[in-house]
Amino acid sequence: MARLHPMLEPYVPTAADPFDSVKAAHLLNRATFGGTIDEIARAQKLGPREAVNWLLDFPDAPAEEINPHDIPDLAVIKGFPSDPKAMQALLLGKTPAEQQALRMQIAVANQQADITTSNWWLGRMAYGPFPMHEKLTFLWHGHFTTSATDERSGLLIWNQNETLRKYAAGNFRQFVHAISHDPAMLDYLNNQQNKKAHPNENYARELMELFTLGIGNYTETDIKESARAFTGWTHDGINYVFRPAEHDTGIKKFLGTSGNLNGDDIVELILRQPACSKYIAGRLYKWFVSEDPNPAISDSLAQILVENDYELRPALRTLLTSKVFYQPDAIGSQIKSPVQLMVGLVRQLGLPAPDDRVVQPLLRQMGQIPFRPPNVKGWPGGHMWINTSTLFVRYNAAVTLTAGVIAGLADSPANPADLVGHWVDRLIQRPIDPSQNFVLVNAARGNLQPGVLRQATGVAARQVIQLIVSMPEYQLC
Amino acid sequence: MNPMKTLSTRRVFIQRGLCLLAAAPTIPTFLDQTVMALADPDDVKRTQQPSGKDGRILVVVQLGGGNDGLNTVVPYADDQYHRLRPAIGKDAAKVLKIDNYLALHENLAPLKNLFDNGQLSIVQGVGYPNPNRSHFRAMDIWQSGQPENDLVTDGWVGRYFDNTCVGADPHVGISIGAQLPLAMQGSRITPLSFDRPDNYRYKGKDTSDYLSLNQAPDGPPPANAASVKATPASQLDFIHRTAMDAQVSSTDILRITRNYSPTVQYPATEFGNGLKMAAAMIGGGLPTRVYYVDLGGFDTHVAEIARHDTLMTQLSSGIAAFWADLKQQGNQDRVLMMTFSEFGRRVEQNASNGTDHGAAAPMFLVADGLRQGVIGQHPSLTDLDQGDLKFHIDFRSVYASVLQDWLETPSKPILGNQFPILPILKA
Repeated sequence: MARLHPMLEPYVPTAADPFDSVKAAHLLNRATFGGTIDEIARAQKLGPREAVNWLLDFPDAPAEEINPHDIPDLAVIKGFPSDPKAMQALLLGKTPAEQQALRMQIAVANQQADITTSNWWLGRMAYGPFPMHEKLTFLWHGHFTTSATDERSGLLIWNQNETLRKYAAGNFRQFVHAISHDPAMLDYLNNQQNKKAHPNENYARELMELFTLGIGNYTETDIKESARAFTGWTHDGINYVFRPAEHDTGIKKFLGTSGNLNGDDIVELILRQPACSKYIAGRLYKWFVSEDPNPAISDSLAQILVENDYELRPALRTLLTSKVFYQPDAIGSQIKSPVQLMVGLVRQLGLPAPDDRVVQPLLRQMGQIPFRPPNVKGWPGGHMWINTSTLFVRYNAAVTLTAGVIAGLADSPANPADLVGHWVDRLIQRPIDPSQNFVLVNAARGNLQPGVLRQATGVAARQVIQLIVSMPEYQLC
Repeated sequence: MNPMKTLSTRRVFIQRGLCLLAAAPTIPTFLDQTVMALADPDDVKRTQQPSGKDGRILVVVQLGGGNDGLNTVVPYADDQYHRLRPAIGKDAAKVLKIDNYLALHENLAPLKNLFDNGQLSIVQGVGYPNPNRSHFRAMDIWQSGQPENDLVTDGWVGRYFDNTCVGADPHVGISIGAQLPLAMQGSRITPLSFDRPDNYRYKGKDTSDYLSLNQAPDGPPPANAASVKATPASQLDFIHRTAMDAQVSSTDILRITRNYSPTVQYPATEFGNGLKMAAAMIGGGLPTRVYYVDLGGFDTHVAEIARHDTLMTQLSSGIAAFWADLKQQGNQDRVLMMTFSEFGRRVEQNASNGTDHGAAAPMFLVADGLRQGVIGQHPSLTDLDQGDLKFHIDFRSVYASVLQDWLETPSKPILGNQFPILPILKA
């Protein structure tokens, strides 16, 4: 067993380096979409190890299994086909014009289904029972990327979302197998067209390049050979189907192994590569700790994946309790994604659910629509989130979301410096530059009477909150 | 807010906002006079190049949804056209004939005038190998200029900015729409985008404190921003600088567009308004090299005629007003307009009196000093690829011609290969 990298050893609080609210908030920012005030207090009380155990304490199950009543209601969408398999039957005997009209109507219904699912998911991120479960599901949505289209059934997108949820913290080996059988994925990467006579390499290529190994760890021949192994893997409109007649049963040579390999064999051979565990560990490091890769650390994390047969929880637990996770350069170094920004604000302030009709256009303008990633690489993130246009949208979105009811507004401290301190703690959750603090306190206090608010407490508090969410500091977590 | 601090941060903006073309002699400074007036004399000296008002401008008009090229530039004398489109084919007696085979849609009279004046060219049969018929993918292909690469994260105009400008001034490109199109996205430079100028500003109540909280730090930005470690301090620095750019450009754009009252009457459409704003910013002396305007709704699967006729009117009335306005301003000779759509449509009409997604289609170019009216052959209506027109001219040849002969920059670093230059502009 290889020695653990020293920076992956557990962070142990000391009197000089306590597990304070800054660190507890940091954990909740990265492991969830930002902590509520109660969650931060609870995490701090539990300490770094138990807090992670608490956050990871959710069933490896889709939402429907956890609570059959808490799923998006797609049945109410007008014209939405509850059984996509029945599509052909619906079209049968219709004139071409009627068929065209029906297809258009179904496309509109699919669009609506994707938006309904997206809104339900955003709600679950903000108010659901297991916030870390949803953060991981969102990570994998950007990893095993699939984009909705008007033609792709909204049911396939929802089913894939449930598959992501089921394996989000489970076993990565089973996860890759499940994704390779996922109808929305097979559709998105053209495995429908992958047939013995005309292999289509799209799924095989992205499986290795983006989902498991990373570029440079396989050859073009490996892609061609593995594409043959996935021939005949398709779906019937709703479920995975294997079509033996389209499947190539010939000998394939893949990553040094020869035989009549099928898609399952390919997945197993990939997972055996050291590059796979390293690639996934690097992905987790980037998502949870820092955009700057650190192969020495993530390769050590990869060992934990391998030793646990690709169970994700031990690796997640190690990473989120580690020294590197709590180092000062990690805290506040991540540019919030649009979803993190909006859901985070709702959670931090305990806001009521914002209107779906407001949220979706704002996310679009900020550049992140769930189920509509820009390409199979997912969202690039980091600096790409911020430009002159999206920055105004981000500021104005936060100002809009904080225009309504905010609990505890009138109970804010009546002293300007304390009031500012209170809301900086709640929103930015770490110390800010004194010059920035000075501007905020000046904004809150009366000109003539230092120490006294300019306006009624609730009004002053809202003014300060809206300024804080319009600060560069608030874009980071 | 502290006036001294404003001055100093504005100076910072100027220092890093230089966007000079790397190798061309007649270069605009991309500096606007109000900012210039606040600068140090030394700064002004260093950046004083021929005025920004001399620079050439490209206006890209995106026809979203897949414009039916065959009902835009109509092969009215081709029997096959009328055979395959019995219900939606344009009436040969009504269309605006430009020769004994081709005509413009009857609602394009203003464009026909430009054509007759030598100010409009039609590039025929534009496309690329293995055409994609998905809106999303095809639009990405046209915007990235890289049909072979489906993981591309920048656009052809964005790469033009990256390759020819120093500094990171976002003013070099302005897209009018709710979301920045991939075409304009650079890896180093991200242009401005907004649907209405009034949305391109901070909308919180306390703007003066907001400004103080968003000051850019003093000192030059890191030379190679991409290699900077993502620490809390470096990330904050990056956001502060972006916020400063946003604020300076917002002030300029609001000032220029709010008071714009052209003598030309623009059509009261979204497209007309977008072009009117572009004209305001051109007239206002913004240092912008590329404007990007969208006209959507071309996905005419059903009952095409009514919708497409309306869109043709919107297109031609908008362009006509914009072109006349530029003439009033004395800026017509600085502007080249280019239209494109992600694909043309199927030659044969479908069962719903519409058309399905197709392939090759014509593009329009509008400018002073065009060399010829019609470029390239019209694609055959009988030799088809899955029912669609075959392309004769690669769209990247059009881009290359615009980049080299209009924007005066080498096209190969931007497009990856050297594509043939078309006889579009007079020498």
